[in-house]
Amino acid sequence: MKILVPTKRVPDTDQKIKVSSDGTGVQTNTLPFIINPFDAIALEEALRIQEGASDEVEVITVGIGNDEYEKELRAGLAMGADRAIHVSTDELLDPWNVSKVLKVIVEKEAPDLVLMGKQAVDDDSNQAGQFLAAQLDWPQATFISKIELADSKANVERETDLGIEKLSLNLPAVITADLRLNEPRYASLPNIMKAKKKPIDSIPLTDLGIEIEPKIEIISVEAPSSIRSCKKVETVDELLTLLRDEAKVL
Amino acid sequence: MTSADQSPVRGADVIIIGGGVAGLSTAWQLKKRGLSVLVIERQQLGNGSSGRAAGLLGQLRGTKAATKMLMDGLQVVYDLEKQTGLEIFVQTGSIRIAETEERSQEIRRLVDMGRSIRFPIVDLEIDKLQERLPYMKVDDIIDACFCPTDGHIQPAELVQAYVKAGRAEGVQYITNCRVEKILVEGGKGVGVQTAQGEFRADFIVNSTGPWSYYLADLSGTSLPTAAIGHYYLTTRPTDKVHVGKRSPAVRNRHHRIYSRPESGGLIVGMYEAEPDEYNIEDLPHDFDMSLMKAARDNYNVALLIHQAQQRFPWINERTPMTITSGIMTFTPDGKPFCGKLPDVEGLYHCAGFSGHGIVQSPAIGTIMSDLITRGETEYNISEIEADRYFELPELRDRVEVKARCADMYGRYYGQIEGQSS
Amino acid sequence: MSKNVLILAEHDDQSLKAASLSAFGLGYRISVECEGTFQILVLGNNVGDVASEASGLAPTLVADSPKLEQPIADVHAKVIAQVIEKNQFDTIIAASSTYSKDVLSRACGIVGGAMASDVIGCEVKDGDLILERPLYAGSVTAKCRLLSDPKFLTVRASAFEPAEGVEAGTSTVEVDEASLPDRVEYHGVETKASARPDLTEAKIVVSGGRAFKTTEDFEGHVGALADALEAAAGSSRALVDAGITPNELQVGQTGKVVAPELYIALGLSGAVQHLAGMKNSKVIVAINKDAEAPIFEVSDYGIVGDVYKLVPELLDKVKATQT
Repeated sequence: MKILVPTKRVPDTDQKIKVSSDGTGVQTNTLPFIINPFDAIALEEALRIQEGASDEVEVITVGIGNDEYEKELRAGLAMGADRAIHVSTDELLDPWNVSKVLKVIVEKEAPDLVLMGKQAVDDDSNQAGQFLAAQLDWPQATFISKIELADSKANVERETDLGIEKLSLNLPAVITADLRLNEPRYASLPNIMKAKKKPIDSIPLTDLGIEIEPKIEIISVEAPSSIRSCKKVETVDELLTLLRDEAKVL
Repeated sequence: MTSADQSPVRGADVIIIGGGVAGLSTAWQLKKRGLSVLVIERQQLGNGSSGRAAGLLGQLRGTKAATKMLMDGLQVVYDLEKQTGLEIFVQTGSIRIAETEERSQEIRRLVDMGRSIRFPIVDLEIDKLQERLPYMKVDDIIDACFCPTDGHIQPAELVQAYVKAGRAEGVQYITNCRVEKILVEGGKGVGVQTAQGEFRADFIVNSTGPWSYYLADLSGTSLPTAAIGHYYLTTRPTDKVHVGKRSPAVRNRHHRIYSRPESGGLIVGMYEAEPDEYNIEDLPHDFDMSLMKAARDNYNVALLIHQAQQRFPWINERTPMTITSGIMTFTPDGKPFCGKLPDVEGLYHCAGFSGHGIVQSPAIGTIMSDLITRGETEYNISEIEADRYFELPELRDRVEVKARCADMYGRYYGQIEGQSS
Repeated sequence: MSKNVLILAEHDDQSLKAASLSAFGLGYRISVECEGTFQILVLGNNVGDVASEASGLAPTLVADSPKLEQPIADVHAKVIAQVIEKNQFDTIIAASSTYSKDVLSRACGIVGGAMASDVIGCEVKDGDLILERPLYAGSVTAKCRLLSDPKFLTVRASAFEPAEGVEAGTSTVEVDEASLPDRVEYHGVETKASARPDLTEAKIVVSGGRAFKTTEDFEGHVGALADALEAAAGSSRALVDAGITPNELQVGQTGKVVAPELYIALGLSGAVQHLAGMKNSKVIVAINKDAEAPIFEVSDYGIVGDVYKLVPELLDKVKATQT
């Protein structure tokens, strides 16, 4: 069995995020980069499926990005993935184009399952998995909190607004992972060593024969001021008014 | 706590740069002696190394001078507890274990030393160890000793206590204010330049931890400290492993690890042979240590987990836990710099606690305020004088300093104590 | 440039969801400003009542079939894509929900459209839609535009007002049941045991500290306010240590790191390791009787006072505005 885990390299959003000086993006030069947390969860689940399976399961990660991405792909290998595919490009692709690239990779690799994070924490679109499923015409299950494979089907539980939804879907399928699916492992010492020898196949984006069609353009980016000065009030009424009318969080 | 714009104070008798435990302790002690004190902190009080520390207190150190400082410090902590109503010290006792003959002799030497100064230390029966620490592997241990009066200082509570006690005395605190450099006029420190203007003082204290050498450089002097990374893991309590609040701290020097209880789980930290190193000058000005995180495939984290597993077999890379990543301020000999340097009057350094800042801070506050108000102290500070490397040109070379500090860190648990090499 | 807007409505088989009314409000206004058309799409099984309600707002397309009873993306998206292509809609809007994210994204993928999720602002400028949406876990807001048609939007209901629309009729969407995929089996939905959202994903977190001496106190104040705000409940380390709250609620350096839109710290002093776990929250509110508590240093708003007096009042007033 083959599981493909697309992963995205993203800035760590637990850090303070600041708008770039030209106001069209964020300052990333001092931010640490990580594997998108939801993709790390997807990878962890793929590894658990591999560990629990009686047959051989190959876990392959895919990353689309520049040369710096090798670091995070190597981290995925250190967690336990068998090999990695690096589609190299300096362009930042939006979810639509990501799905176009992944479609080509899927057609090449013919996995039984594509397991990826529900969204990337930099753009929070929550689209790429669904776009990929649509283009492949594969069934999909999004925001899963549990998965179990049996007889060419995936039995999943999904986190929805109404509660936990249970589905069974025929493989191959595209499935996206939600937060409660698992807690990803750290890389063990032996696996860090093994990862150094595992292959990262690098393919230039231009070799895939895809026409990149940007679907979204960012015009400007804004962030609230990072300097907090506490406005102290005397009454609950004043507080609620501020939260409703000024902060607009209630 | 006020921002600089709202502060009515544009100076004081003493300005303390850096609101970690070293600066806060010194501030409180100085104010008690009647000086006006202003603490200026770049972010929030205790936000740096102090907030990340594990806080283990092992009072018995290599020398009597060091041991006395820690024992006196504990008394200060007890006083702070009474004054503030906070639980700062958790007396769990501490255990040292040995798996090899060399390490066993290390323990024997420690026990002898402790007994010679009437410090409470007892031999432990190996077969009683498992009962005491059901979550620890004990079958390879050949020697152990127990110090019942040891434990750990809760860093957040210590910070809180210093601030509360300091404020009660009248210490002024300014936070979210970065000191850009120390103003030196005619060979004397006269004030600081900050992001929000100038402040003047008769005495300046550089207690900025990892930033101490950087600030020294910017102010025309030089301090041989270095920023060395450290990691510890904190496991979450589970049905299988729940660590009691008073479970003893453990020092396992052979595996380079220490452990102590934390919220039902276990903290395990490591002094690895080759630590990560940081260049403060390359970090952004608003670098926030409290947001530091280790990469999932960080080698030293994997090593920490591996070593922790040697002593606590239930720990592995999948154990539910958090990894705390922080920066310690190390020195070439692992001892802090406390006092003036010959090139600048009125500027006192108080940094380089090499992983022992929390526990040394109570006594250090007394020592620093002695030095500032009287120029001398009853404590034997020969090992921690700030100028002990001043004459050595090689220790003005950053590359050399970093290398020696990292080496010292590696030797912490790596070397056999008390053994003539 | 005129726009043909389709609003995908969500319902519970009886009536439209409130969030869909907000999505409709936006769709209606876009269409009016661009001198275009607007219609609502209702999918499901036996959805006559819902269709009737929707037709009170706009011309309503109704896809009614037993095959559409369950919200299976594989099936729904196909029908939605067919409706879009047949009617040449260029702007499709739905309220942001797990359903719309699952289904509408797939529909967009089928027709090759352009999509913006979680839109919190929309301005029509020269026939173009300038959309505002959060990025980086909500730390920044971006203005953006979609570069091709059809355009798909999922929108945060709270950001848009409903609209009156116009009284209109319904028309049937022919559902070719035989062509619908049959690859996904639906095995029901279970409402969650804990109604509270996950700490790390909740939009609002209400946290409590040392002021609360017992679990009952904590639940009665922090828990109750969290429930009233549909928020997650969090706690300081001290309460976990004292056994008053479970470990999973701990916010802080060795607990969870959260950055919700609103973090309310009740009776919590703000020890440095707690701050490390929440200081990047968008708006921070603190109620504490100690005016010098460190939590105020990272707060945007605060009241110096007794949580035992203030929280019950806060709770009553929050509940009052909800009814």
